[in-house]
Amino acid sequence: MFSATLQGRTRRDVLRLATAGAFAPSLSGWMKVLASHTAGPETKGKHKSCVLLWLDGGPSHKDTFDLKPDSKGAGEFKPIATSASGIEISEHLPKLAKLMHHGAIVRGMNTPEGAHGRAKYYAHTGYREGQGGVVYPSLGSIAASEIGRPDASVPNFVAIGGRSYGSGFLGPKHQPLLVQTPDRGVEDLKALVSEKQFEKRVGLLKEMESAFHREQKTDLVVEHKTNYDRAVKLMQSKEAKAFDLSLEPSANRSKYGSGAFSDGVLMARRLVEVGVPFVEVSLGGWDTHDNNFDRVKSLSGRLDSPAAALIEDLKDRGLLDSTLVIIMGEFGRTPHINTRGAKPGRDHFPRAWSLAMFGGGIKGGRVVGKTDKEGSEVVEGKTTAQDFLATVCELIGIDHTKKNEANGRPIQIVDKPKPFTKLLT
Amino acid sequence: MRSLRHLQFAAFALISGFVVTGASAQPPNKAKQQIRKQLMEAQKKADAQKKRDEDRKKAEQLKIELGKKETGTKPEPFTPKRIGDPVAVAAVIDREIDAKLKADSITAGERSTDAEFLRRAYLDLTGIIPTAAKARQFLDDRSPNKREKLIDELLASSNFGKHASDIWMGLLVTRTSDQRRISFDPLREWLASQFNENKPWNQIASDLIAAEGTQEKNPAVTYYLSNNTVDKMTDSVSKLFLGVSIQCAQCHDHKFEDWKQSEYWSLAQFFMRVQVGGLQQNGTPSIEEVKNPNRRRIPLPEDAKAMPVRYLRDSTPVSLPDDGAIRPTLAKWVTKPTNPYFAKAMVNRVWSQLFGTGLVNPVDDMGPNAIASHPELMKALAANFAADQFDLKNLVRAIVLSNAYQRSGKPTGGEGDDDPQRFARMAVKVMTPEQLYDSTFSLVGSAINPQARARMAANLPKGPLADPRERFVNFFLAGQEMANTTEYEVGIPQALKLMNSRQLGNPAAVRKLIGSKSGKDAIEELYLATLSRRPTEEEMKSMTAYVSSAPTAMEGYGDVLWALLNCSEYTLVR
Repeated sequence: MFSATLQGRTRRDVLRLATAGAFAPSLSGWMKVLASHTAGPETKGKHKSCVLLWLDGGPSHKDTFDLKPDSKGAGEFKPIATSASGIEISEHLPKLAKLMHHGAIVRGMNTPEGAHGRAKYYAHTGYREGQGGVVYPSLGSIAASEIGRPDASVPNFVAIGGRSYGSGFLGPKHQPLLVQTPDRGVEDLKALVSEKQFEKRVGLLKEMESAFHREQKTDLVVEHKTNYDRAVKLMQSKEAKAFDLSLEPSANRSKYGSGAFSDGVLMARRLVEVGVPFVEVSLGGWDTHDNNFDRVKSLSGRLDSPAAALIEDLKDRGLLDSTLVIIMGEFGRTPHINTRGAKPGRDHFPRAWSLAMFGGGIKGGRVVGKTDKEGSEVVEGKTTAQDFLATVCELIGIDHTKKNEANGRPIQIVDKPKPFTKLLT
Repeated sequence: MRSLRHLQFAAFALISGFVVTGASAQPPNKAKQQIRKQLMEAQKKADAQKKRDEDRKKAEQLKIELGKKETGTKPEPFTPKRIGDPVAVAAVIDREIDAKLKADSITAGERSTDAEFLRRAYLDLTGIIPTAAKARQFLDDRSPNKREKLIDELLASSNFGKHASDIWMGLLVTRTSDQRRISFDPLREWLASQFNENKPWNQIASDLIAAEGTQEKNPAVTYYLSNNTVDKMTDSVSKLFLGVSIQCAQCHDHKFEDWKQSEYWSLAQFFMRVQVGGLQQNGTPSIEEVKNPNRRRIPLPEDAKAMPVRYLRDSTPVSLPDDGAIRPTLAKWVTKPTNPYFAKAMVNRVWSQLFGTGLVNPVDDMGPNAIASHPELMKALAANFAADQFDLKNLVRAIVLSNAYQRSGKPTGGEGDDDPQRFARMAVKVMTPEQLYDSTFSLVGSAINPQARARMAANLPKGPLADPRERFVNFFLAGQEMANTTEYEVGIPQALKLMNSRQLGNPAAVRKLIGSKSGKDAIEELYLATLSRRPTEEEMKSMTAYVSSAPTAMEGYGDVLWALLNCSEYTLVR
């Protein structure tokens, strides 16, 4: 007798398949049909990657990528010319300025969330937190699920130095591998015992598993075994060496500068080289309500060297066209300066802000969108997080109109976007 | 409206030059500008008024619709009916399940071995594996009713409440960005004590639904501190206590169930007075009900606020006090013995926790179109639960005493293996992160020396993740809100942690476990401690051979323990 309530699957699927004429009497028949609907993506064309340099806290756009020297709250920084004619950025990002011909700046970002948590969630997922009772996947998890190789020995989404946002309803298989301290590599990647003893242990484990599987024959055993195989494979793989920064020639390593963020950006390059499709590296401290100029100057220095080194290294290795580098935070900062604290600051400002993109096949030296004299209103090219994420998807080969399933509901990867890819390619 | 017409005419007249603005000394352009500005402002006002009128009309229309016809299928009337004591209830469970198996000519699997039952009961009822000593004691016990005795012992253990609390914390509390500053421990502890004292489920539910006051005085308010907007409250209460998923109807009529948006917002009215306070730094977290609460951040649409208050699919008139708390009225309706949803929701949930699958699936989507695998059994169990004062320990006892629960997890080789809702054999489950932590740390935790422990504690971040158990659980949840016990869903980082983490791989642990034992005794001790069973002859041969060929016996035993902790039999609940 056929039960209309399939374990774990949904009635929506049942109705859809039933009307498609896929009605089969036995339950195992259903499972096969449903499984074929969730088959993985076909990878076509060249493999692309994305490195997201996440500036946590909301970097001031008027002091980084959208300077307004004639405005009321112009601030202390001067704009400098870049390698792209007509584009000027902050004097404290000189190395990136020399690479502007590979990049584009989006100055028309206009988003609705002004609180950190909600804004970060929205920027990472393209959805508002709590919308429709679903937990949405972040861009990294989407990339892992859409353009990642399911059999890759290194996880397809690596997040360095920050919390990042997870896979939501896409499930645990697309969760990011978190690397807290890049200098130390991946937690628990090295065995506790000698290589020889570890091999013996793995052999013993395999023996136990095969006996148990013969007796128990459940899928859960197979999945457990597969997961362990992947973990052991990672431990023994040469791709895992990407996590070992001590293997990088020191002359090259010094180009990135020192500190956790520099290490993280270097690790990102090494991961892209072994085929990881999405790496996110976090640099915190941009929430400059107080002492905006000293802090942004210092942070700009910490951003400039490694970001530039990354772009140059990718170019040298022929990877820049296939790797999109994004530099962004969750919102910008007020065009006017507050004098509440001891030193002048700027507060949250999502109504108009900027982000930068390099590589990924974009035609560099472009500006998309424009703000007014004060940098407080977007007068041309209003861009939401959805528009931006859809553009990123198109650049790295993800079909953002595809619908994934969350508790039986179809959820489009990006909701109703207006991508501006044409302006970049 | 009239003033707008006025201005339009004046503008037309002026622009067309038919009127001379006599008294004013302004040049005609300035006057035009002024009138244009006034015109635009008046238009704006008129538009806003029009929208408000439209919203009001819509709300009125919905009110009329709701009052006029019955929307959707009403649930069957529900009457509590006692079956008897847990033994009698267990007999009914078996009668219904076996009857259906027979009718479909499906063979039931064999009874579980003592070892299978021992580990399963420990994990399902108390969330932790038995010690080697307890395992040995049970396996060697010759009394015919040892399983019944074990069940009684486990239900009386304080770990029963701790385990139930772990499950309910995962259901009641959601982890979004604005609750980093409140502690969830008060709720966790309160729940554990309620379950241990076996408070009737309708009382616990009522305390949660109507919780009011400061978190310090009433830990149950933590439920609303976590679900702190009207829509979250409505979604959660209907899912957890009524067993129905109506959250889709928040924005539109449900696509394939027949929940209407109007019903959703009528139920939501019960939460319209809830005021959440003290979530900021140094605040006193609290919940109270006031006539016009301060609604942070997400204001509600006009027509949502204007809906008449209604119980779900129940046209009994709702009478609410003009001032003060209105959730107690909802709590009363939800937890009354004749409520058609309440008893069924809990019975189905408890059943699915023990069997790995509910009589209705998904567990909390028991809407009008849901079909139970065993409808008569569902009805009987729910009716008995309601008549039995919603006694949870009795419900658990009845299920665990049944033959159906005590079936082996081994495949039968027949058709029953394909459909878990036949209950022809017990489903194999995966340990939850809490079970994994508690079990594993009972084995290796004591081996960590106090200095190392202090060093670890100093390096941990502050806040909720400072607790090692909380960190471990979070890590093994791998981003999910709640553990799924029927699917293996962890990834590479979790496997790496179990294989290579210093805390779990402490060599002193194996020494502590085997004490002064050696050879076969040591191997047996390791198997009893981890898998709650003795090794088979073949396993014993293979393990002793391995240990003899190791550089030192301790190293050999260490390898065996490592393999036991990482094998799937360890993380699975058979």
